[in-house]
Amino acid sequence: MRLLIVEDDAPLASGLQRILEGEGHAVDVTSRGEEAMLAAAQEKFDLVILDIGLPQMDGFEVLRRLRAAERPMPVLVLTARDSVDDRVRGLDLGADDYMVKPFAAPELTARVRALLRRSQAHGGPRVVHGPLVLDTVARRAFLRDAPLELAAREWAVLEVLLAKVEKIVSKEAIIQAVAGWGDDLSPNAIEVYVSRLRSKLEPAGVKIRTVRGFGYMLEEFKAS
Amino acid sequence: MAARSLRAHLLRMLLPPIAALLALGALVAYYQSIEPATEAYDQALGDVGIALGSHIRASDNGFSFDLPAGVDQALRTDRYDSIYYRVLGPAGQDIAGDYELPGPEGEALAYDTVYKERAVRVVSVQTPCAPSTCTVLVAETTVKRSRLANQILFSSLLPEMLIALATLVIVWFGVRRGLGPLARLSDEIKERSPGDLRPIDTAGVPLETQPLATALNGLLNEVAESSRNQQRFLANAAHQLRTPLAGLQAHTEIALLEPLPDATRAQLEQVHQATVRTARLANQLLTLARAEPGARGNFADVNLKTVAEGEADAWVHQALARDVDLGFELADARLSGDALLLREALANLVHNAIQYSSRASHVTVRTGTAAGRPFAEVEDDGPGIPRAEAARVLERFYRVPGTGGTGSGLGLAIVREIAAGHGAAVSIGEGSGGKGCRVAITFPHG
Repeated sequence: MRLLIVEDDAPLASGLQRILEGEGHAVDVTSRGEEAMLAAAQEKFDLVILDIGLPQMDGFEVLRRLRAAERPMPVLVLTARDSVDDRVRGLDLGADDYMVKPFAAPELTARVRALLRRSQAHGGPRVVHGPLVLDTVARRAFLRDAPLELAAREWAVLEVLLAKVEKIVSKEAIIQAVAGWGDDLSPNAIEVYVSRLRSKLEPAGVKIRTVRGFGYMLEEFKAS
Repeated sequence: MAARSLRAHLLRMLLPPIAALLALGALVAYYQSIEPATEAYDQALGDVGIALGSHIRASDNGFSFDLPAGVDQALRTDRYDSIYYRVLGPAGQDIAGDYELPGPEGEALAYDTVYKERAVRVVSVQTPCAPSTCTVLVAETTVKRSRLANQILFSSLLPEMLIALATLVIVWFGVRRGLGPLARLSDEIKERSPGDLRPIDTAGVPLETQPLATALNGLLNEVAESSRNQQRFLANAAHQLRTPLAGLQAHTEIALLEPLPDATRAQLEQVHQATVRTARLANQLLTLARAEPGARGNFADVNLKTVAEGEADAWVHQALARDVDLGFELADARLSGDALLLREALANLVHNAIQYSSRASHVTVRTGTAAGRPFAEVEDDGPGIPRAEAARVLERFYRVPGTGGTGSGLGLAIVREIAAGHGAAVSIGEGSGGKGCRVAITFPHG
């Protein structure tokens, strides 16, 4: 994938570049917002990592202009500020994710992977998660290349979890995404669907973790 | 120094002039009425003298005084006073009466003196006794006169004292009434939330207290401005500290991915841990500075449940990294507060619980409202905090002796500081079943 890092702190920028190159990405680095706008106009990037505290044209402005120019690539905002306002403003302007400095390399790479996966999957008919493949057009699922029988509700729950790998999803959010008009789904029903999904997916190493009193999280697939 | 009471001060200022006026008024009233009264009494004494004079008889061998016993008795009898007299011839020789009665000094017609160890008033009357003039001295004790003087004094003092008393009462209540606007002003300031630095509305403030309100508004303005400056400084400091730390952390992590000699790797691990710790410490110090009184930013309606939900993802990943089971029991807990600081307080509690729990232990985050008071608490089944240490762990940089890990000892101090800024209390106790530790922040009634 082709990534653009917009960060004016040279040591951090080079560090990020090496981490992401280590993940197999092609990474360009610029330290100024104006340059980032030029680069984004000329090249197609799959993801932009954008620092908010840039000299002159700051990250918010870059983000605003990128979105105004209808550049659809995901943007991961980096900030050293942690005020709620900044976070809300970044997300309002169309940032796809938000990280406060400093952060651990695995956290960054996990977020980058999640964003790339989401943007690739967006509109695409096939969702892949390790040995699990969902063909969203034909509405057919495969596990280790073998057809997987899923009830409609199970499919819906799995889709919600797949859209947010490594993120916890509350039961309420699942209910909202799964329940149609007039349906009255209880949290207990969700538990039943998740437990059925587990019994089908876990033999292949696809794990759904329970977060007590909150919801579920589809863990990143690790080939063992 | 005790605060000076305005009332006491006013009374102290008013009392001497009132007392002086009282005394002066009494004196004036006394002398104005005592003089005619004294004259009247003297006149009466003079009449007695004239009557006595008519009893002087001139004979060849001088003068004689012949007073029938009944008359003498009647003369000397008075309800209050004793009466004395002394009859003197033209040459000053005694004719009759009380010879010891002191005569006048000079030509005075009425004078005060002492007779038989009592104060007396004496009137001297000239009476014809052919061929010249005799003198009759009539004296009476001053009981009547003193009574009169006292009556005059009393009757003039009483209304004056009533007026003085009324003045004092008016001052006492007038001060309270007059200070009413100030009391309202202080109530308005007391009722404010700590972060509310809006100027006071001067519309309803009386003219006399306008300068105070204006001065207060000026101060509020300055505090708000310095608070804004501090927030700006903190944002800059955060940026300046975190960006290089992020670079440092990134590079040590990259270096650790390379094949390295064991000794170098061990040293690099140390550098990496120190970097992570420094980053956390920088975050904590910034939070602490932000939680300082006067630096408070934005109070708004906050639901602790929403705060916990927003951070749940990050916390769960922290817990997973240490193989801790993090669970939630979240109910609505609405209050007015600073969402950012409350998030930090909760994050610190969760971080502590995860950090000091053993692997495979359970940590639970709870929010809710109990007896009308919103609360947030984090419970773990780890080693717990010894009772004797419970108070000290809230101090800055204090760590329970023998604690492992790499904490700074700031986490709970931050929690306490943030709680205090919200009028909330932090309590540390045992977890359910007497195991582990439960730290709760309980907020005042919402």
